[in-house]
Amino acid sequence: MERIPILKMGRFLLVTIQVDMHDRLALALQDDLTARITETGARGVLIDISALEMVDSFIGRMIANIAAMARILDAQTVVTGMQPAVAITLVELGLDLPGVRTALTVERGMLLLRAVLHAAGELDQPSAADEGLDAGPAD
Amino acid sequence: MNETILHSTSMRDAQDVVRIRQEARQLAALLGYEAQDQVRIGAAVSEIARNACEHGGGGELHYAVAPDGTCVIRVTDRGPGIADLPAVLEGRWQSPAGPGLGIFSARRLMDRVEFATGDGGTTVTLAKAPPPECPGLSAQRLEEIGRSIAAAAPPDPLGELRIRNRELLLALEDLRSKQLEIERLNGELAETNRGVLALYAELDDRALQLGRASELKSNFLSGISHELRTPLNAIRNLTRLLLDRMDGDLTASQEHQVRLIQSAAVTLSDMVNDLLDLARIEAGKTVLRVTEFTVAELLGALRGMARPLITGDAVTLTVDQPDWPWRMCSDEGKLSQVLRNLVSNAIRFTPHGEIRVTAAYDEAPDMVTLAVADTGIGIAPDDLERIFEEYAQVDSPLQRRSAGTGLGLPLSRKLAALLGGSLSAVSEPGIGSTFILRIPRQCPEEESPAKPAATGPTSDDG
Repeated sequence: MERIPILKMGRFLLVTIQVDMHDRLALALQDDLTARITETGARGVLIDISALEMVDSFIGRMIANIAAMARILDAQTVVTGMQPAVAITLVELGLDLPGVRTALTVERGMLLLRAVLHAAGELDQPSAADEGLDAGPAD
Repeated sequence: MNETILHSTSMRDAQDVVRIRQEARQLAALLGYEAQDQVRIGAAVSEIARNACEHGGGGELHYAVAPDGTCVIRVTDRGPGIADLPAVLEGRWQSPAGPGLGIFSARRLMDRVEFATGDGGTTVTLAKAPPPECPGLSAQRLEEIGRSIAAAAPPDPLGELRIRNRELLLALEDLRSKQLEIERLNGELAETNRGVLALYAELDDRALQLGRASELKSNFLSGISHELRTPLNAIRNLTRLLLDRMDGDLTASQEHQVRLIQSAAVTLSDMVNDLLDLARIEAGKTVLRVTEFTVAELLGALRGMARPLITGDAVTLTVDQPDWPWRMCSDEGKLSQVLRNLVSNAIRFTPHGEIRVTAAYDEAPDMVTLAVADTGIGIAPDDLERIFEEYAQVDSPLQRRSAGTGLGLPLSRKLAALLGGSLSAVSEPGIGSTFILRIPRQCPEEESPAKPAATGPTSDDG
């Protein structure tokens, strides 16, 4: 069965949704991601939906659920790259993703995650620690 | 509403929902909707299609365009219908899987959403006003759009595979039912076969019993005939002693009675001999003694034998001398027995006229034909074959007067067959009869049915 890959980047997990998800795939992602968070002890999750062109109430609800579950598992979640049409549709559907942080790009999402964790005292020396752990683009 | 149907498709599961929302979005793009409306239409269709799959077990979806350019999408399922429509419309309904917001959401995204729900299923009609800058599309353009949507539909290889799979399953089911049918037929056939086999076995059994009965009859006949001959010979010998005056003189009346006894004993002994011959042939115990002789010799002996049988001048016997010199190779004794039988029969049934014995030779089949023709009372056509049956006697005044055994003709026919030939008769009542005996010049020894008994202890003395 097809899966959406979950990449580990330092202390964060990166999920890039690049296909139009059907319902089972979304449910599988929810299971996989929660399992990976507990497995790796990741403190942050970055969900990139820049390739997602369409959402409906189910997908929207799934994104909100995933964010909420990650938060309960002690991992901050940022949804990045949402297209304007998707944003409009979500609002029109009454799904304004309460409690989900969003960022326009992955880079800014990453910064946001670090800032949040730093503020919470999780990351003592943000730049040094990140460069050691993070294979992503340096900011 | 006079809508133009652009495309129809069916759906079954979540995979189809994804395909359909892509299709809906593509259609919206082709119809000239702006990007945001494309997403709205796609999302709304996705909601309704998911409901149809989850609650209605799948259904049909039709894309259409109304005359005023309104995009109309109609989703039909065959589910149990929506129970609490007002609650659903207000977004208060809770489905077992979570908040039932599909219809509620679709209403927010589309301009118009209509429901027709009942026990037989639900039909949801979604409508979106035409894009302002693209008011009317020609029928030709709509047709093109429909075609391009239909053409874009199949590129889902997984869906294609699933359709194939379904077809395959159906075919398998069909095959299995055919297989069952064949097995059932096979079973029936096997049963019939068993019945046929049982019948065959029964038939074999019957044939065996019949053969055994026939054999028993033949054995009985040959045994009893042998036993009968001894006392008969005693009677004949004793009468001869009496007639020879060995025990003193006889009065005229005594002599007459003793002669009657003698002639009766002779008749009885002839009958027993015939019976014995017949039984031997049937039991396959007859031995052929093949010698070389000419037909002239055969007929000469016949003439000598038959002349004393003719009493008075009313009947004349003519034996034609054949004018061909070839020799025959057959059992002379049996052949002359047959001829004797035929001639004595002819004499018995011919009060006056002529009895003629002729001989002819056919070179092609190498057969000798001997015919005995009389001018006697003849035989009715119905009786022509019956006279060759054992103990059959045709009812006639002459028959009653002349005592016959009824064995002569059947015995003759059997003997003729034994020699590889045949005996037949033609006759016309009141004019006369002709008996035709056809015998191969060279007796087919190898095919003789008497062959297996050739080494047997019994010898033919009939």
